[in-house]
Amino acid sequence: MTHTLRRFMLTAASVLALTAAAPALAATELTVQRFFGACDAEFGTNTDASKAVGECGIMTSLINKFNADNPDVHVTVTTVEWPGYDQLTAQFAAGDPPDIVTIHHSVLGDYQSKGLLMGLDDLLKSVGVAPSDFTEASLSGVTKDGQIYALPIDNWTMLFHINMDLFKKAGLVNADGTPKLPTSVDELMAQAKEFKEKTDKPYFVQNLANEVALYTRNLYTYLFQQDSGAFADPKLVKINTPEAKKVLEMYKAIYDNDYTTKDMDYAAGINAFLAGEGGVHLNGTWVIGDYTASSETPGTALNAGGYAVYPYPQLFSGKKAQYADGHSWAVSQKDRTPEEEAAIGKFLKFFNDNDFEWSRTGHLPAVKAVLGSEEFKALPHRDTISAVATLGTPLPSTVQRQFAIQDIIGQEMNAAVTGQKEIDAALADMESRINDLLANI
Amino acid sequence: MAEAALPGSSSTASAAARRAVQNINAPLWRNAIFIAPYLLFFVTLLVVPLFWGIWLSLHKADAFGTGRFVGLDNYLRLFRDKIFLQAVGNTFYFVFLTVPALALIGLFLALALNRKTKTAAALRAVYFSSSVLSVTIVTLIWRIVFIGNFGLLATIYGWFGATAPAFLSDPKLTMIGIAIATVWWCIGLPMMLFLSALQQVPQEIYEAAALDNASRWRTLWHITLPSIRRTFVLVIIIEIVLQFQLFGQARLMTQGGPNNVSKPIVLYIYEAAFTKWDLGLGAAASEILFILIMIAALAQYFISRRKGVEG
Repeated sequence: MTHTLRRFMLTAASVLALTAAAPALAATELTVQRFFGACDAEFGTNTDASKAVGECGIMTSLINKFNADNPDVHVTVTTVEWPGYDQLTAQFAAGDPPDIVTIHHSVLGDYQSKGLLMGLDDLLKSVGVAPSDFTEASLSGVTKDGQIYALPIDNWTMLFHINMDLFKKAGLVNADGTPKLPTSVDELMAQAKEFKEKTDKPYFVQNLANEVALYTRNLYTYLFQQDSGAFADPKLVKINTPEAKKVLEMYKAIYDNDYTTKDMDYAAGINAFLAGEGGVHLNGTWVIGDYTASSETPGTALNAGGYAVYPYPQLFSGKKAQYADGHSWAVSQKDRTPEEEAAIGKFLKFFNDNDFEWSRTGHLPAVKAVLGSEEFKALPHRDTISAVATLGTPLPSTVQRQFAIQDIIGQEMNAAVTGQKEIDAALADMESRINDLLANI
Repeated sequence: MAEAALPGSSSTASAAARRAVQNINAPLWRNAIFIAPYLLFFVTLLVVPLFWGIWLSLHKADAFGTGRFVGLDNYLRLFRDKIFLQAVGNTFYFVFLTVPALALIGLFLALALNRKTKTAAALRAVYFSSSVLSVTIVTLIWRIVFIGNFGLLATIYGWFGATAPAFLSDPKLTMIGIAIATVWWCIGLPMMLFLSALQQVPQEIYEAAALDNASRWRTLWHITLPSIRRTFVLVIIIEIVLQFQLFGQARLMTQGGPNNVSKPIVLYIYEAAFTKWDLGLGAAASEILFILIMIAALAQYFISRRKGVEG
């Protein structure tokens, strides 16, 4: 009995010793958390990013490639629902954040100001990535207190995605074949009216249900175009202004006159545009790749007359601008071994080197050399949207809790546009709710 | 014990034995070992968080530090916050929409399926099956039904050239849409509770009623319903407590919108704590919800006690 027991103990001990020794031989483990959706069925094993389409496909393929190219590092990916910040906050609070995580430039300050993110100046330098490699917009998006806190991978903005077939039917095409876009609010209304009369379809495809981001980005863009200083004081927002009222009145008129689809959520909006249910879809740079692919498929609504994409038209007399933000990889603050830090450096360098593949999604590249490259310029529609590089304007980075602010603006603007609330009341509530939020940080 | 029964033993021995006999039912500290495992989890997972939550609600705190003491400031902010008051109202409205529906439909299904046929057994399983789904699946199913233009409802209305009601974006309908999904999801439990109550009604009473030539209605009204009235109260109270905690359906179907008309208290708490990072405010809102649910639970206690005395 004792003998059996001793043998058992010895076996157990040797098994334990083996398992303990194993990590020394195994690859360095990194946990990566990202949004951009899940598409493992289609791209789960693909390692050639150039064969992938769309944000999810390219992201999945790039990480697959990184794992294949680097046997000494193993990246485990957790995909979260966009934008995933509630979960990330909870993970940080519990002391269990992922190593590397996707963060919008606009949100970086929230986590950085709490000391939760690792400054990356030295790490990027060690793998040969210099701050001067990045475009100005990207670099300023990830720099806080003079230090880089994330690897920028793109800048994005919202765009007019256009169904040219319907635009032709509506007679809204210039002699050179480009779409006729409005230059003022009145012109927009007139064109939308004409569009509706000739095609019997709404001018805009918008996702107005269960949505806050679209409203907010639209408002920001047209506030910028009126030189409104709504966020001049990052602690005291002034948004109950005549400028904001003009924007809300415009979107309410679009809604009231049925110049837009109604009651659609984000997914339904995309489906509606792809099915040819309206002329202009308001969505971001990230769908360009998918929409271009659809327009090249015979039989689709976008194939019928073509697909075009443009920055938001300048409707007001102020600065030429539109709201922009960007994506980046941030690294959580943790005690790490030199191997782990080196592995993170490799991962960041890999994404920096493959920024062209990522820019195929439609986003503007974060790497200057890619933005200027022939290869990038040769991608479809980059000629029409390249202006965004100079138009793109983020909120001042000193404004904290930008996603919480987005919720408030989206809710109030939705209420005003759909007629549940007077515009003045919505703007007053918007301002007081945002300032209450900012006063209690 | 055997010793105590022996005659002729010394008086000290019998006194000691008597003590031993008494001690069997007397409180003993070592008996606490039996409940210690439960107590450990109860204290660490319920009592400590309860008081910690109260403590947090008195602080200006975020998830990364305890912050500073602000007294009742968070509560005052809540009562000045229109959105919070609206969320309380929304929650009551939701309870009003779902609880009577769950109780009545549950009762109806139980009455209809309380027989020993195979069809009834199969249908019982079918009606209960939705209860095993997670909230994510339930809301996914109902979003597919409700979503404009492409949803099931929109397709069916489309056949008749009509526009479907916008259950996910019309401010008058969103709470009703969420209530429909919730009733569909939660109907299994009340049905089962009613079924078990129905099966406990003594068969002899029904036989007596049949001999008296009582109609089906009379039997239902004078025998069945009075016999299960305590279960009816139980179902109402359980469902009030459960439905007060509405969260997932509203978060996933409407995000509390439009214009906050479908935002329940728990969603407000979640947003305060995790989106705004205002943990103190979220904790204060949780304490209010705790008090509301406690009132419902106490009501159950008093009502069941009164019935107990009557019965």
